[in-house]
Amino acid sequence: MSPRHAVRSLLLNLAAIVLIIFVVGPFLWVAIASLQAENDLLHRPPSVIQHPTLDNYNYVFTGKIPSSYEVKGQLRSRITQEARMIAPALGNSFIVALSVLVINVLLGTPAAYTFSRLRFRARGAAYNFILGSRLMPAMAVAIPYYVIVQALGLLDTRISLVLVDCALTLPFTIWFLTLYINNVPRDMEEAGMVDGCTIPQALVRIVAPMMLPGLVATAAFAFMTSYNEFLFARFLTQSLRSQTGPVVIASIAGNPDASYSLISVCMTLGLIPPLILAIALRKRLTEGLSTSVTFR
Amino acid sequence: MPETRTRWYPYVTILPALLLIGLFTLYPVAVAIQDSFYQYVLTKPRSHPFIGLRNFREVIGSYYFLNSLSITGMFTVASVAGVFLFGLTVASLLNTKIKLAAVLKVIILLPWAIPSVVAGLLWKWILNGDFGILNGILFSLKLIPGYIPFLSDPVLARVSLVLAQVWKEGSLAAIFFLAGLQLIPSELYEAARMDGCRTWRMFRAITFPLLRPIALVVLVYETMTSILTFDLIYVLTGGGPADSTSLISWFAYAEIFKSLNLGHGIALSIIIALLTLALILAYLRILRTEDSR
Repeated sequence: MSPRHAVRSLLLNLAAIVLIIFVVGPFLWVAIASLQAENDLLHRPPSVIQHPTLDNYNYVFTGKIPSSYEVKGQLRSRITQEARMIAPALGNSFIVALSVLVINVLLGTPAAYTFSRLRFRARGAAYNFILGSRLMPAMAVAIPYYVIVQALGLLDTRISLVLVDCALTLPFTIWFLTLYINNVPRDMEEAGMVDGCTIPQALVRIVAPMMLPGLVATAAFAFMTSYNEFLFARFLTQSLRSQTGPVVIASIAGNPDASYSLISVCMTLGLIPPLILAIALRKRLTEGLSTSVTFR
Repeated sequence: MPETRTRWYPYVTILPALLLIGLFTLYPVAVAIQDSFYQYVLTKPRSHPFIGLRNFREVIGSYYFLNSLSITGMFTVASVAGVFLFGLTVASLLNTKIKLAAVLKVIILLPWAIPSVVAGLLWKWILNGDFGILNGILFSLKLIPGYIPFLSDPVLARVSLVLAQVWKEGSLAAIFFLAGLQLIPSELYEAARMDGCRTWRMFRAITFPLLRPIALVVLVYETMTSILTFDLIYVLTGGGPADSTSLISWFAYAEIFKSLNLGHGIALSIIIALLTLALILAYLRILRTEDSR
């Protein structure tokens, strides 16, 4: 390797290291903070790793107060019951996001197939309406959403969040899958239909397997979008019957009595599902995102 | 399949999605537009007189309107530029053969995948002025004489907000740019290298022009995202200190949920929607003239 090449590769690797630290640093720090007693974190500078402990997690799941929080002289560390809401809230998030995922696949796939392959009246209008709906600013409709959900008698239910999140995610799902099916060759399904397959049969048996990578990516997008949604979840939920992870995490973090360690525990727990999904499906997601900007 | 069933098939498949999306767009937008012409203050629940355009006039004449508009403009320009630069840098690194590119490729999606609320809180604790880890590190390395109040100084709070936004949004731009870079045939670079082109020259003559369509997508998408940023501000700065990070969409929230003036909040939301729409149309025009070239 020539010296110029060596210098170039060294500089590029250095840049990569800086970027990796920038991207991963915040995740590492919250995970570390969740394993510390709060008093260690409140030092200047914070003293870290001296006594990593699972006590904070233990408190969140079982309610057993860590010894480091008990009375020391006059001072008692900050703690809050609210942190214990994180497990049921993440459960809600999971149920809502999984339902949204299933509905997106079940409603989105046939609709996308129709838009891609069939010619019918009002096709263009319907397609443009679906896409255009995403231009609506969330804040303007927050109050009307509340009114609709109240009229349906669904305030503080997970069903209301599933409905709203489906309305938010279906446009992207349909658009993306339509592009995807456009790029799947027609010969196979046409042969199938000559052999007497109906459209739904052809869709399930022939097209679906060929578009599987695209389906996996959209399913993951729908899951993440609803798992991460905050604004509407904040307005439409009131209790642990329906409050999701982001709502509870934001509320705990806004509570002056909450300890930094416990907030970190809640955040770490909330981060685990999307991070696992992002790493496990990295190839599919990257492909899906690339496809969405390069397909025409 | 009988003829009638075939005829109805397309409508049956798109109807459920259409109904659901319609219920949560047409009706709410109609209600919002109607409400914007009435006085709607939650502290006076029984009186909703029709007041024409007064909500719009009051919002535009309010103490915060022009100021928050300029903050929104600054934030949008800074974060779009930051996201753009970050995305392009990461994509270029991912497109090289260095060993660490593989690591970067695995982790780059992580900030994109998580809730904005959590992203904001991660940075809130890192930047904390009393016991944040960034202060801790800088102080231990003797790079700063004392702790810096990143989030309670008006200028630093804005910088912090942009930093968090670039961290959260940069991933997507990186993936988009990488997709664009990989579409550029490598023969072009080889030919240029034969002709004795240097790296910078190749970037200007080959990469940049061929990346233009993707760059415009990133520009449109990130402009919209920045203007409508809410979750991040809600947890990171709460619009403060002293309104220094209050984007115009933050005031739409504040009017509705703090001042309880729905009419004002909705009128403001409609103004924001029209502004965003105008920007998108302007971008699309640029995109169209690009395509026809």
